[in-house]
Amino acid sequence: MRVKIDPEVCQGHAMCFLACPQVFELSDEDGHAFVADENVPPEFEHAVEQAVRSCPEGAITTF
Amino acid sequence: MAEGDLQPGSKQFPIELDHDTPEHAANWPERWRAIRETTPRAWTESHGGFWVATRLEDLVGIAQRDDVFSTHKELDRVTGETTGGLSIPPVPGIRSIPNESDKPEWNGIRGFINRHFAPRAVELRRQRARNFTAALVDMVIEKGHFDIVDDLTNPLPALVTMDLFGFPLEEWRAFADPFHTMVYTPASSPEFAATIKGLDHFHARVDEEVAKRRLEPKDDLLTIFATGLIDAEPLGYETIHDLAFNILAGGVDTTTALTSNTLLYLSRHPDQRQELINRPDVMPLAREEFIRYFSPIHGLARNAMSDVEVNGWKIDKGDRVLLAYSAANRDPDAFEDPEEVKLDRFPNKHVGFGAGMHRCIGSFLARMMWECMVTEVLARMPDYRVEEDKIESYHTVAKVNGWIHIPAIFTPGKKVGATIS
Ligand code: HEM
Ligand code: SF4
Repeated sequence: MRVKIDPEVCQGHAMCFLACPQVFELSDEDGHAFVADENVPPEFEHAVEQAVRSCPEGAITTF
Repeated sequence: MAEGDLQPGSKQFPIELDHDTPEHAANWPERWRAIRETTPRAWTESHGGFWVATRLEDLVGIAQRDDVFSTHKELDRVTGETTGGLSIPPVPGIRSIPNESDKPEWNGIRGFINRHFAPRAVELRRQRARNFTAALVDMVIEKGHFDIVDDLTNPLPALVTMDLFGFPLEEWRAFADPFHTMVYTPASSPEFAATIKGLDHFHARVDEEVAKRRLEPKDDLLTIFATGLIDAEPLGYETIHDLAFNILAGGVDTTTALTSNTLLYLSRHPDQRQELINRPDVMPLAREEFIRYFSPIHGLARNAMSDVEVNGWKIDKGDRVLLAYSAANRDPDAFEDPEEVKLDRFPNKHVGFGAGMHRCIGSFLARMMWECMVTEVLARMPDYRVEEDKIESYHTVAKVNGWIHIPAIFTPGKKVGATIS
């Protein structure tokens, strides 16, 4: 599984970080989320799916 | 007349709703449920007429269309008259920025302050906030009774916000009290003008301290206001007032409301309180659940700048829309058993902090302050019990769903020797 965040849509709710801090990071500049590595380790796939369902903006996609 | 116009909730067939009344404050969850089920996109003639978005999907859809929906407020600084803006009913005499600004003005202002509210900046403040909390609890811990609002949830966010600005901490009450009263006094009431007047002191102190920072910069927000540049220009006097107003208003009453509601709820649900004490790992999820459930900011407005359709909902140019966060946060299409508090609810795509570009800049700070207060109370007064016959809630929740008084008793404990400095 791979994951990406649309930076135009993300508003920094940080629910993704709450779901899976191993995959999602928050910027020191504005608190918006980013992923350092789009490849999701298998043990975090469930947590990343939870993040997708927790993002109020619909900014996260898995592919 | 187009087909569908006679649908209940259309402009020709408006619903009865005034969210700025004691009746609404007493009943809002049932009221929103009824409206969401029958007329989820309803027009009301109250306060000059407005739509109400009660479903999460619609609310987010509108909040994300900042190309069409404006929050910009025009303020006549002489008469105090305003047009546009975020509030229904309108709040005269003041403007908040970045909240009541559109792109591109918003980009400059938000970009200017973002860094000071980002997770890293907030973490650096956590230890001080913990100390303030411990000191506030020290003041009451030997007595065995306190007022959750007066003694804890009102002063702590005020102190942390004062600290962030760089104002002398001992002045917190003179700053926080006018905001507190402004929030729970209905804008249509005769007392409201006096509450706006109460903000004069705040503005005067902002001017004094900004003038001092120009001569002697420090490491605080006031210095940034005094010396910073937005789009290569120093900040004007009005920009500083409107920005400081938004940060103080955002900082002092919302987190107060969230934490007051949380502690009252936990007093009424001892099993869940025990669960939170036993499982501190649930705290972050519980925090988001309380934000969802209580929605401290009840709802805010958007103003359509052109005719638009969102998810098939036609909105005309000039229409106002209330984004009812408190209604969307209990939308059964988005949340299972929405009327229940599940401490470990997840996923939880609540919009308690809003959605779209204006989404709360202070969310990390709010979360941190909530954690400090709830952790401290559960650790040092684990058996606190609210005196239910003495509590008093806000008479209107149109702005903030909060409390005036929540007295409580507990088994006295010992001071830890913390001080506010
Ligand atoms: C639990 C506490 C809080 C809640 C529920 C809350 C809620 C909100 C909401 C719903 C918005 C969106 C407004 C909109 O849609 O137009 C917002 C924006 C804002 N909040 Fe908060 N807030 C909280 C705490 C804070 C704190 C602690 C601060 C600052 C110290 C703050 C400062 C702001 C500012 C400046 C904005 C405007 C952002 C912009 O327009 O870009 N808030 N807040
Ligand atoms: S939950 Fe969504 S909007 Fe929020 S930080 Fe994560 S990706 Fe961004």
